[in-house]
Amino acid sequence: AARMAAPTMEERKACWGARDEFWQCLDNHADDAAQCEKLRRAFESRCPQQWVKHFDKRRDFLKYKRKLETEGYVPPEAAGKS
Amino acid sequence: QRERRLRHLRQLALGQGDFQLQDSAGIPRRKADFLGRWVLLYFGFTHCPDVCPEELQKLSRAVELLERDPALPPVQPLFVTVDPERDDAAALRRYLRDFHPRLLGLTGTPEQVRAAAAAFRVYVSAGPRDEDGDYIVDHSVLTFLVGPDGLFRDCYSRSRTAEELARSVKGHMESYEPLPA
Repeated sequence: AARMAAPTMEERKACWGARDEFWQCLDNHADDAAQCEKLRRAFESRCPQQWVKHFDKRRDFLKYKRKLETEGYVPPEAAGKS
Repeated sequence: QRERRLRHLRQLALGQGDFQLQDSAGIPRRKADFLGRWVLLYFGFTHCPDVCPEELQKLSRAVELLERDPALPPVQPLFVTVDPERDDAAALRRYLRDFHPRLLGLTGTPEQVRAAAAAFRVYVSAGPRDEDGDYIVDHSVLTFLVGPDGLFRDCYSRSRTAEELARSVKGHMESYEPLPA
């Protein structure tokens, strides 16, 4: 496959904008991705595939971080130690 | 935190941090070429989703702030790619035109780039390629301050703002004492 040039500043901003719109929608719908299909598709069309994956991971991490901050750390399985 | 940073800096100074690369005009550049000047150096790659543009924006802004003070010597901003396969001179020129006009891009052979990253103890790890041949390069996010004597003076993480960077560099410049010959 032909090597793609790196996105320009304009393309980066368009991608980040689409991502932010998608994330805003998720925030508004308690992460129900089904409610944000159109924005998801716009996000995927504006960003390189690698960046979509990267931002998806970032979102998961941010959610996890927020969870830790609000709920505290809960170990996976309290192994019944006395 | 400060102890760890000073230890890292001392290790780096011992390692000298030399490099042999080429700039975006194809001219060979090594660390010695920058002696006599303060240098702010960042490792990144042009296909970077967000961190590198943000850090370069910050770096550019910090340099601009320092330029406003006529009493301070000029700072040379440098960008070293961690993705030499894709980031040739042309790619660097295209990418860097969106940032500070004096920001100089450096690239080289994979071996040269690997050596430069190692000299700065910068972690670099290219991820798997997708069907378009695209990939992300995971790397330490750090901006290094090198003094006119070629020794490391500080390093700045993502959490520092442009204003903090400028303030810190100014502090280093004002308290700078060249090592005895």
